[in-house]
Amino acid sequence: MKINKKYFTIAALCGAMLIPLSCKKNFLTQTNTTASNADATFQKSQDVVALVNSIYDGYQNSDLLKKSIWYYANFTSHDWFNDGGDIAWNNYTISPTFGALYTFWQNAYFDIIRANSALEIIATAKTKGVVTAELGNRLLGEAYFLRGMSYYYLAGSFGGVPLELKSNPNGLAPRNTQAEVFAQVVADMKQAETLLQSKTVLPATEKGRATKGAAYAYEGSAQMWLGKYAEALTAFNNTELTANYHLLPKFIDVHEFSNQNNDESLFEIQFDIQGSQSWDGGWQNGGEVAWIDDFSWPHELSGFGYDYGNPGLEYSYQTGDLRKNATIIGPGDQNISPGIIAKWGGIKGYQVVIDGFKNGTKDNSAQKYGSFVGDDGNIINTCGALRQPWYGDDLTRSGFYCAKKWRDPNLTGANGSSTIFGSQNQILMRYAEVLLSRAECKVRTGDIPGALADLKLVRDRAFGGSAPAVMQDGLTYDGKATTPITDPLQMVLSEYRHELTGEYSLFYLLRRAGPGVAATFIQKNYGTDATVTPQPYPYGPTADGKLHGVWRTSLPANHDILPIPQTAIGLNPNLKQNPGY
Amino acid sequence: MLVSMSGYAQSKITGKVTGADDGLPIPGVTVKVKGGAAVTSTNTEGTYSITAGSNATLIFSFIGYTSQEVAVGSNSSVNIKLAPENKALNEVVVVGYGSAKRSDVTGAISSVNAATIAKVPVTSLDQALQGRAAGVQVTNNDASPGSNITVLIRGTGSLASGGNTPLYVVDGYPINAGGINNINPSDIASIDVLKDASATAIYGVRAANGVVMVTTKKGKKDGGAQVEFNAYNAFQSKPKQYDLLNAQQFATLANDVAANDPNKHFTTLANWASPSSLTNADWQNAIYRSGLTQNYDLAIRGGNEKVQSSTSIGYYDQKGIVLGSYFKRITVGENLDYQPTKWLKSATSAKYSYQNLNNPFGTGNLGNINQLPPTLDGGNKLTSQIKDANGNYGFFNPIYTYVAKNNNPIYSIETNQYKNINNYFLVNSSLEATIFDGLKFKTNGGITYTGYNGSYFQPSDSRKIDQYGAAAGASGTALYSQHINSTFDWLWENYLSYDKTFGSHTINFVAGVSQQESDYNSLGGSVTPPNNTIKSLSQGTNLILDANTNGAVNNGEVKRSYASQFARLAYNYASKYYLTGTVRRDGSSQFAPGHQYGTFYSGAVNWNVKKESFLTNVNWLSGLKFRGSYGELGNQHGIGDFTYQSLYSAGASATASGNLGYAFGKVGGSNGTYQAGVASIQPENDNIRWETDYVTDIGMDASFLNGELSLTVDYFNRKSKDFLLNIAASPQTGYNTLPSNVGSMVNKGWEFALNYNHAVNSDVHIDLGLTLSFIKNRLTGLYSGTNAISNFGGLGLTGDGWSEFTRTYIGQPIGEFYGYKAIGIIQSQAQLTALNSAAQAKGNDFYYKATTGVGDRLYADVDGSGKITADDRVALGSPQPKFFGGFNLGGSYKSWDFNAYFYGVYGNKILNYQESNLESFAQRGSVSIENVSKQYYNNYWTPTRSSNRYAAVHYDDTDYGNLLPSSAWIENGSFLKLKTVTVGYSLPQDLVKKLTLSKIRVYVSSQNLFTITKYTGLDPEIGTQNANPTQNGVDNGTYPSSRFYTIGLNVVF
Repeated sequence: MKINKKYFTIAALCGAMLIPLSCKKNFLTQTNTTASNADATFQKSQDVVALVNSIYDGYQNSDLLKKSIWYYANFTSHDWFNDGGDIAWNNYTISPTFGALYTFWQNAYFDIIRANSALEIIATAKTKGVVTAELGNRLLGEAYFLRGMSYYYLAGSFGGVPLELKSNPNGLAPRNTQAEVFAQVVADMKQAETLLQSKTVLPATEKGRATKGAAYAYEGSAQMWLGKYAEALTAFNNTELTANYHLLPKFIDVHEFSNQNNDESLFEIQFDIQGSQSWDGGWQNGGEVAWIDDFSWPHELSGFGYDYGNPGLEYSYQTGDLRKNATIIGPGDQNISPGIIAKWGGIKGYQVVIDGFKNGTKDNSAQKYGSFVGDDGNIINTCGALRQPWYGDDLTRSGFYCAKKWRDPNLTGANGSSTIFGSQNQILMRYAEVLLSRAECKVRTGDIPGALADLKLVRDRAFGGSAPAVMQDGLTYDGKATTPITDPLQMVLSEYRHELTGEYSLFYLLRRAGPGVAATFIQKNYGTDATVTPQPYPYGPTADGKLHGVWRTSLPANHDILPIPQTAIGLNPNLKQNPGY
Repeated sequence: MLVSMSGYAQSKITGKVTGADDGLPIPGVTVKVKGGAAVTSTNTEGTYSITAGSNATLIFSFIGYTSQEVAVGSNSSVNIKLAPENKALNEVVVVGYGSAKRSDVTGAISSVNAATIAKVPVTSLDQALQGRAAGVQVTNNDASPGSNITVLIRGTGSLASGGNTPLYVVDGYPINAGGINNINPSDIASIDVLKDASATAIYGVRAANGVVMVTTKKGKKDGGAQVEFNAYNAFQSKPKQYDLLNAQQFATLANDVAANDPNKHFTTLANWASPSSLTNADWQNAIYRSGLTQNYDLAIRGGNEKVQSSTSIGYYDQKGIVLGSYFKRITVGENLDYQPTKWLKSATSAKYSYQNLNNPFGTGNLGNINQLPPTLDGGNKLTSQIKDANGNYGFFNPIYTYVAKNNNPIYSIETNQYKNINNYFLVNSSLEATIFDGLKFKTNGGITYTGYNGSYFQPSDSRKIDQYGAAAGASGTALYSQHINSTFDWLWENYLSYDKTFGSHTINFVAGVSQQESDYNSLGGSVTPPNNTIKSLSQGTNLILDANTNGAVNNGEVKRSYASQFARLAYNYASKYYLTGTVRRDGSSQFAPGHQYGTFYSGAVNWNVKKESFLTNVNWLSGLKFRGSYGELGNQHGIGDFTYQSLYSAGASATASGNLGYAFGKVGGSNGTYQAGVASIQPENDNIRWETDYVTDIGMDASFLNGELSLTVDYFNRKSKDFLLNIAASPQTGYNTLPSNVGSMVNKGWEFALNYNHAVNSDVHIDLGLTLSFIKNRLTGLYSGTNAISNFGGLGLTGDGWSEFTRTYIGQPIGEFYGYKAIGIIQSQAQLTALNSAAQAKGNDFYYKATTGVGDRLYADVDGSGKITADDRVALGSPQPKFFGGFNLGGSYKSWDFNAYFYGVYGNKILNYQESNLESFAQRGSVSIENVSKQYYNNYWTPTRSSNRYAAVHYDDTDYGNLLPSSAWIENGSFLKLKTVTVGYSLPQDLVKKLTLSKIRVYVSSQNLFTITKYTGLDPEIGTQNANPTQNGVDNGTYPSSRFYTIGLNVVF
């Protein structure tokens, strides 16, 4: 074949010209088909609602809820201890590198920024008519509430933290003071109070969303952190709280699985997948999958036992206080949760107990009796036997466990059907706390009779109708007789502890009461000293002279707040570490 | 003709032409009479016969050899030795969109030819560059089969993962990162590494990290056909192992720890009470084996003036030294060149490769082997062995918390099924037309296709439940996962070139346009299969499709396109003064509309001093050239697509982890209703722009002794600005990471390449080569406002304080190790009391922690606060070497050839994380225990056995801080390795000829024969992990290297 050079040349040159012509602008503009951009979102009201839902989602995280807020609220009070990887909490040597703190910090700020940008987007959506004014206001209120609540827990845990109030900050703001942060909480909650819906009008299908009442509760507490007790009283006395929320008649019912989102609960974190065996991490990363309540159960039953109680907490309940075994159970105590009894007939009904009793299983080879044999030789129905408490396989636990976290009848721990993860909501704020906080405000403002009246409301319920006039702990931690508590502030602190321990607020409330108050209170409860290792327990069935994971370390001066996470400092060098870390 | 016949007496001249390097006859040498018409060529024996006048001069020329002119005088026989061409000056180097004689090049270019590549059996051509090209640092990140390799040309300019990868251009086609592994090294004719701006600017936004031009072998025009067969088998020995405790020692240690644990937290297993009764589990012995590599290449090459063809088939099969690891590759290559008319020619390069790779215990995971407790007693009730004669695998006691979490890796490797298959095509064709003398038009089009198919199958495992019941936890469910992805990439380029010499003025001009688009598609997920044979996503239950994360698309399609225009003008005057200017305007879809284009350029000068009259007669100097260049180059590696867009995500599905929604409406014990959530995962940032490198190069090329000795020296200064990174963000921004232009860096350095090539006589030939590179890297700025950047990129080292192990401050080298300064062990209570008192005097509670005791590690209180806190951490040394280089020692004697090749680095530090594990009894980050080294066991501090190096043993170190990232784990990483030594023998020609062959060479070689180093770990050659320079030089259990013993054969038919 003869190739004609002339034609080829012309064709080639045309080809060379062709590319730049075909090189239209859109050759370089590719469409994003694997992620949604802003243009594709917020065209309908569900998208705007979804934007706010994602702020709630930030709290569905075990590092944030359990390993940061719950640990701080409870381990720091020495009512509870950790067994496992986080025992640094037991002697107040939490490191700035403790990973969960960073997750807490991170999720809280993600929520804050999500709220900041939601405030902007909702405002636009309202203007454009994508959402109605009514829905728009509710959503704005939720965003203010959730931002305020995040700052509330951040400042309560770390002291002052940086205030970020815009949607796209550079992330390098230094810390504000604790007072500035709580002032922001007050401001946000006040906005929320006007915008949110009242509990009375929130549709049942939206249960779990923030309400005006919840905003007043957090505002009041934030005012107390600022020492503004009169303003706090105003918030606590608002009818959105006093008319719409009530103490449940029976204390045991407050934490029952069948009573979630109850009439006493002001705000709780919602979970939604029942009875899961999944270890896929849903319980860590914002998934609906569940909560790790059975991690607190005895190792004998759950295979975990990662946290356990201080025996002294059980002894400190005044005689007749029905809160005792609804809060903590130990050797010889039955689980009195109606839900657990209905499903299993008590501890004796769990498969691992039945099998273990049958096989004479011992959790530890040093044991004299089978782990599941009761003091009477029959199958055990108590949280360990008096003659042989449940110390766990390595004998490092106290034998006492949290009854508030043993309510979900679907769970079996890592035994039986291995249903580890449940869906029980976690109550962050409830009306009893409001009443006790109000009592403290009244003490602070000199209204002692008013304070005692508020305490009585809570105590009457605790004692099944009518509390003894004299307030007095059952026994000291080492089994000695006690004297009546007469100082009004100490009465409030004692009620904080006995009503709210094992939940999400105790140590926050103790620290809120002022410098040194918490350390003195804990010292008095547990006789803390300079020891930094576990000490033999001096009293009760677990006083065998051996070590069972009970520390008596005093709360060091600077360690009533947590260290700023090291990683956060690394990414924002303007953050200054708290002293002593 | 008649005239000359009458003027001179004609006579017949005969002779033989042999190679000055090997003394072998050279067939096909053109022999010409100078000024006359007579021409002939040597026959297969290298002899020739030509008719010439007396006093004629004969010209001998042959490709690859220096032409020689010989005055015949009155001789009738002229035997000559042709010297191989002086590589330094006359070889042709491939530059972007063209080629040039080395002597005419203005840029800094290092070249490696086929002969050099053939000297070392390598899997990938990257490895062939190690130490051979000055300024190019090649590190085997680990020694696994088909392993990943880091190639850094002139240092680290970017912090992005993969952000320092050079551009590879195979036969004119710029391929995507990673593709180079598909090219069979024995198909390669030459590798030209373009290093400075003058050489690389023609590749614009992909030029900053240097460009590796790969040219594959073509057929020759000489009318002959050559069949070549190469084979080798390499036996690989078991690697060096850590000296760890056996079962008896370990149980003894465990009992001691339990007895001394103040928290009474740790208890031992009952049957460990009598250590002598335990069965030893030697995990290293079980996991390591000897390896075997087989490689076979068959090629046929040849052609005539019109058509040249080269076809090759290669098979590579490596069984790795770690159980379950292997790499198999089949390659097929074809080059076809066709010139139908004088003015039109075409060239086609087609490459196919099939790869099958597996490495169940990759880098990092191998560290776990050393951590496993050395006994399985009390586990599987059927056997305490790792695997017994009946095929039962041991497992750890599932009830005893401290070992329950460990798995038997031998069981996993032998039971689980892995598949990682890659298919790769590269087809590229060009058509070149000479329109008139000097003006050429070329169109070049091609595709690459990469197809990956991977799967993993893990059968269900109920052994523990069967033996221990519910207390053993949940039974292991089966899992099947499959991932398929493909990338289709096409390229079309048109360009014009004009080359012309007018008197003393020479012009080379090229200008054109280029378009390239790649289309990535992927699909992947996992299911619980119904039984142990079904491998189908549709047959299983619990289907979970892989989620698209920000920056990684696991399900879906991503397209990426480039449009570019480029031009280069080179001018020289009398081959003395050279000027080159290059420009490229690149457009990329990865940036926001309106910000898609960037223009990059370079300018260079070159002065060939040797051509100046004052040096013409300086005979000792054969060549001298000075070069200088400056340019601005782009880099866009490491940035994902659509990083400029504001993106929202609904997270994972309602039931999966990581969803962003929430359930409302729960009443009592009933469930609520899940409502979807949406959150911003990336804010809009239109200002994302190219990384720009400002590169200066000053170089000198000199040669001496008729070119036998050559020296190239280059100084470079590379300033990288605006490097692109998806960087860890302060959580206060609302994001984990934010893509942005992050900061700036500078790399300055010197490169030296020295070569000596000398034929002592026809029997003895010497060949020496030395490269040395000195590179100083500094971070010069961060735009985020922070003054330092910590390690990021996924290398998770567990343990207290180990989330941060490198921190690079502005002004310091990238990836500098960071931690506490270990200064010994606390020896006495008095010393501890003094430390605590001093701390308390400054308002602290304790010197370190309340629990710190005698026998624990002592750290320097750098900030003088009295207490050891995170603020006492300091820079502990850089993983970047002060210099590195290669030394080649080659020679031949008659039919024997010899080559030894050394590679070394000097002045770098290694973070021996592995050592910290070998001194840790608790498995950090988990309630578990692990094995320790004998060295530690025999030396750790006890009240009766003092040590200032090995801290006391504790169950959980978190309370004591002996294992924090500290100078205790920093070691000198300098090494010198004898990478390879080879002895070859070529069979005598007469024998070969009897076999109707042209050449038979057999050789034996050994790799990694010895390493000189002070490093105490297994192998000091440790690279970056996940191609991230902030996690460089960390030994967390890399796949070790060991000796290879190779026997090989080259046959040419």
